[in-house]
Amino acid sequence: MSADPNHLQNDQDVRAHAYDGIQEYNHRLPNWWLFTLYGAIIFWIAYWSYYEWFQAAPEGAARVELAMQRIEAAKLASNASSKLDDKGLWEMSRNAVIVDAGKQVFQANCIPCHLASLRGKHENPTAIGPDLTDQIWIHGGHPTEIYSTVTTGVPLKGMPTWGPVLGPKRISEAVAYVLSYHKEGEPIIPDAASAPAN
Amino acid sequence: MQENAPYRPERDVVTTIRDDGSRRFLFPADAKGRFLTGRRIVALVLIGIYALLPWIKVGGYPAIFLDVADRRFHLMGRTLAIQDLWLMFFLISGVGFSLFFITALFGRIWCGWACPHTVFLDHVYRRIERWIDGDAIERRSLAKAPLGAAKFARRALKHTLYILFSAAIAHMFLSYFVSIPAVWAMMGDAPTKNWGTFVFIAVATGIVYFNFAWFREQLCIVICPYGRLQSVLTDDHTLTIGYDTARGEPRGKPESAGVGDCVDCDRCVKVCPTGIDIRQGLQLECVGCAACIDACDDVMQKLGRRPGLVRYDSLAGFAGRAKRWVRPRTILYGVLLAIGASVAAWNIGGIRPAILGVTRMVGAPYYVDGGSVRNQFLVRIVNKRSEPAEFKLRMLDLPPGVEARGIEAPFKIAPLGEETRPLIVQEPRSLYTVPFSFQVEVSDSSGSFRIARSMGFMGPDPAADTAAHGSATDHP
Repeated sequence: MSADPNHLQNDQDVRAHAYDGIQEYNHRLPNWWLFTLYGAIIFWIAYWSYYEWFQAAPEGAARVELAMQRIEAAKLASNASSKLDDKGLWEMSRNAVIVDAGKQVFQANCIPCHLASLRGKHENPTAIGPDLTDQIWIHGGHPTEIYSTVTTGVPLKGMPTWGPVLGPKRISEAVAYVLSYHKEGEPIIPDAASAPAN
Repeated sequence: MQENAPYRPERDVVTTIRDDGSRRFLFPADAKGRFLTGRRIVALVLIGIYALLPWIKVGGYPAIFLDVADRRFHLMGRTLAIQDLWLMFFLISGVGFSLFFITALFGRIWCGWACPHTVFLDHVYRRIERWIDGDAIERRSLAKAPLGAAKFARRALKHTLYILFSAAIAHMFLSYFVSIPAVWAMMGDAPTKNWGTFVFIAVATGIVYFNFAWFREQLCIVICPYGRLQSVLTDDHTLTIGYDTARGEPRGKPESAGVGDCVDCDRCVKVCPTGIDIRQGLQLECVGCAACIDACDDVMQKLGRRPGLVRYDSLAGFAGRAKRWVRPRTILYGVLLAIGASVAAWNIGGIRPAILGVTRMVGAPYYVDGGSVRNQFLVRIVNKRSEPAEFKLRMLDLPPGVEARGIEAPFKIAPLGEETRPLIVQEPRSLYTVPFSFQVEVSDSSGSFRIARSMGFMGPDPAADTAAHGSATDHP
């Protein structure tokens, strides 16, 4: 070390190693800094005991499963009013509020093919979708069959798979709107000209 | 524990850490002067800005309101949605480049004048301490004194005020995230009603209190990375605070002959909030507060000597050379800053208040139905604005004879709402020859923006047999 007055004159605290001519002093770390290390060690013991030793908390996979079930429960609860059976869908189709909501869904998503009148090809032969107001049903005319046709679609013919786009609530509303053009117990005529795809 | 003899700072050890690792608390003396006055004005203006920004409304929202709950960010009348979060890149890199540029030019001007840590410490907490505990000598003897009733009363008053100000700072900070009325409403509720927020505020208050009451200069010296970074950002021409060795040395009594201007009064050491001796040169601990300049100028004035023995200057200036502002480093940092700022401005200017997505519907790529070829798409629009808006869709570049359905009617979308619309594109089979592309464009009813997406229309090869693919019809 030089006799620079800016540097410590005793070199007893200088570590032996030198890198690129740079040496370092052997000064103590600040005590508060060491406390953060000891604190981290104490935290680690507590954390490790809680999760690994006592296994007091559920494992990651179990927690994911629990969270998924909560989401599922919330979904089911939001859908509680719509009983997905023929009777429930018929009931919905007689509820003005649900039918009005279904009309909104239908107008936003269905009229490019089935037309605003729901009459599709019967109103205009160049239309894409079939008539939804008559008693001829290509893929089944029971309410749950209609619901299933909307949800999974008929990819071969171009009916989109609406399930992931609209979700069960809006699909059941749209089906209720279609059913509001029908009466429970009316005849269901399978379409003779076009064999069901499924 | 206090030493009896005054401690002499050395460059090879941190003054505030003793050999045994314990903390040496500092009692910086008062230093009045033009730089303290300037810094105090800047600090009060900055505290005013921090405090008022959530109160001032620009375009219906607070000037800065980072609405985490609704995932919207209101900045000076402009609203960004969570989808625009990628712009944070420019904020972070912009802060980085600005610090590079400013540090290369002016050294640690930020630390001494504008850093919230310094602003609140020097101009709020140290003021409270000075008011209750007195000047440096009184504070030092009070710290040594045994804890009696008088000392306890002073300590209780000081720490109560510290905690009150810390709570105020924590609430100020919170009001950037949940808005003033929401903070006010939560303050009126029982803590159990907003348990998460209450704990956040309590912890934040605790951290702020700990930082300003006890931790102080340790943050700048040990934790803040900027202090370390500056050593690679500055050079001989960077503005720093330093001591004019040529003029000051050798130190000696004012009357003695053959001595420099420094009278070795140690005022510069006594006022230093990080406990260094600026006469040992530029050091990592220096936060550029300029207290030593004020202290030395005061002494020089009393002795009838020129001020500026300790002053803002560059290492080159102290060595008697000319200081240069324009140098490769400042040009490079300046160019990087300018490029970053231009790209950021370009991108922020290009932010649209909606998102448009067009995808092909699940199923076959095309359908041949009766006399026409049909492609089906799903159009998805997100309204990123804070108010409902009416959107309309339009087709561009459609060849004659091609018809699009499903996008005729304009529709309203709620704030941050999302709507999907089917889009059916049909062309008479007789007209179709080759695939073509067209555009779907969304705009709002006032036409304040438009976004277009290009999509492709496809159909059967006219030469091939139509029955081979997707030729299902409802009524063959």
